[in-house]
Amino acid sequence: MDVSEEKRNRDSSNYDDRVDNPTVDWQVSGSNPVSAPIDSYSQENLISACPSSCSPSQMMDSFGQTLWYDPTSVQQAVGYGGGFSVQSNGGNASSSSSSFRGNIDRSLEMGWNLPNLLPPKGNNGLFLPNVSSFLPPSMAQFPADSGFIERAARFSLFSGGNFSDMVNQPLGNPESIGLFLQGGGTTMQGHCQSNELNVVGGEPHNDESTVVKEPNVRSSEQSKLNVPGSGNVSEDTQSSGGNGQKGGETSSKGFDTRKRKRNGQNSEAAQSHRSQQSEEEPDNNGDKKRNKEQSPNSPGNKTNSGKQQGKQSSDPPKDGYIHVRARRGQATNSHSLAERVRREKISERMKFLQDLVPGCNKVTGKAVMLDEIINYVQSLQRQVEFLSMKLATVNPQMDFNLEGLLAKDALQLRAGSSSTTPFPPNMSMAYPPLPHGFMQQTLSSIGRTISSPLSPINGGFKRQETTGWEGDLQNVIHINYGAGDVTPDPQAAATASLPAANMKVEP
Amino acid sequence: MASADKTINTDVPEKDVFAIHFLQSLSNLRTQNLFNSPDTTNYRVRKIKKAAYVSMARAAGGTSRLWSRALLRRATKGNNKIVRFPRKKRKVTWKISSKRRRSDQRAPVVEEAAERLRNLVPGGGGMETSKLMEETAHYIKCLSMQVKVMQCLVDGLSPK
Repeated sequence: MDVSEEKRNRDSSNYDDRVDNPTVDWQVSGSNPVSAPIDSYSQENLISACPSSCSPSQMMDSFGQTLWYDPTSVQQAVGYGGGFSVQSNGGNASSSSSSFRGNIDRSLEMGWNLPNLLPPKGNNGLFLPNVSSFLPPSMAQFPADSGFIERAARFSLFSGGNFSDMVNQPLGNPESIGLFLQGGGTTMQGHCQSNELNVVGGEPHNDESTVVKEPNVRSSEQSKLNVPGSGNVSEDTQSSGGNGQKGGETSSKGFDTRKRKRNGQNSEAAQSHRSQQSEEEPDNNGDKKRNKEQSPNSPGNKTNSGKQQGKQSSDPPKDGYIHVRARRGQATNSHSLAERVRREKISERMKFLQDLVPGCNKVTGKAVMLDEIINYVQSLQRQVEFLSMKLATVNPQMDFNLEGLLAKDALQLRAGSSSTTPFPPNMSMAYPPLPHGFMQQTLSSIGRTISSPLSPINGGFKRQETTGWEGDLQNVIHINYGAGDVTPDPQAAATASLPAANMKVEP
Repeated sequence: MASADKTINTDVPEKDVFAIHFLQSLSNLRTQNLFNSPDTTNYRVRKIKKAAYVSMARAAGGTSRLWSRALLRRATKGNNKIVRFPRKKRKVTWKISSKRRRSDQRAPVVEEAAERLRNLVPGGGGMETSKLMEETAHYIKCLSMQVKVMQCLVDGLSPK
């Protein structure tokens, strides 16, 4: 668009040659064909759009008188404003106001400086002196410092993304805006009550009239005023073409990214800035990637549809993160969401434990159940200790392993050959010097008893294992008993032949 | 987190695996010349107990479970020629200290119980609460299995 190009050139030059002669540019702008369509988007449009839905404030009147009804300067001023509105959405003052709003930040800086530079430049200079003279009363509440800039950034921040919703809808549809305002407005108002640039929605809504209108008015005023002074912003807005809200976004983006990071936690803006801020929340990535969707009391359908557009911009990353959505009426702080996820995990596991621990079904409540679980674990450990004690006392020889496996065959073997051969000393390493009969008895008993408990455990398995082991051990024992001279270490042989004896536990 | 059982895997081997491991450890115990004197009962008891735990840890999955790893590590403190501890990538070790510090803020009831659990379950000192619960579940299963095996053994060995 020629208008955009011209504006860009002009504004960039304006920005660069701030000191030189911006008024010339303004004159140029006044003469350019941009002013032609101004008529269609003249002050009526702007004035009607903004103040129509909002009660005219004093500021508005004074501003309107000084600015808009001044024929010469107004033309140029409105030319800019009108031009902006032209380029943004056709006839959509919301976009214009958004672009204006976006320009506020930069233009503010410029605005303060320019009055010094353009003192008496007639009608063109009227622009800024108007700013200087007129702004202070209106902006008396505005601290011209980083605080205001921050708020302005926040304002544009909040509204920037959401303007896509609003811009796409005709102005005459305050419902979505209102809903959005309701949805996002609660915290917003909580935040920005003291600020002039308050509202997320640039469009005034009937319910939010007082809060919305004034800042809206002011924003539109300032943006109109400061349009020529802001080179980057205007460039952004123009480059965005028909999407006025984007201009506001880019301007805010370029303005202060730091603020955005700070506001990243705010869920109201989160949905519009999810894509932007996704990388700014590293600590939350562990649990959730997509931020919250707060569904307050406003009717769900419309807000959802309105917010859908903002949501589409951010795709959930597919890298194994757990996406969490805030439930209705719940806090959407990232920390609280992480807490909620963690709590859910813990409760899930506790339910699992409840099934394990016998007698925990009737118990309700985390504390009692946890006590039960702890008691159960303690009791189990005590049981193990008690049984080990019992094992130690019941069988002081602890010679039940091999014998148990030897079971029948070994017994037969021993019964066959034990009478002749003396008991091999190696064999009795762990055995106390017992009479042979006793050993036999022990063996048999152990064999019987070991095999019997094992069979109920797993009948088939025991058969197989014992036969396997017995087969291996049989040879060993055979050697042992058959040839009394040869006494290979049965332990070593046995353990070596044990199929799974690949580890030795060092007590 | 639709199905809890899928996400929480607490499969425990059958009793026979426990039995094998236990008996093996006991047979290894036998190689030592410690059971001749009567006043070594306590020592024997302790040995048996330790053997029981270690065999349980082995049977229950060796080093693939946090508690079993901690148990085995504790058991083979001085001389570890036996168990190989594969290097497990710890993704969230940084969470431990931070969560500990904030533990009081997080459902203090749960956290108190978690502290007691940590003292009970081996290796619980370095775990987050949710992970701790998982390990506790598996530990409970293995403990109950080991108790059953030992009970059978004792019953079998007790003089009739």
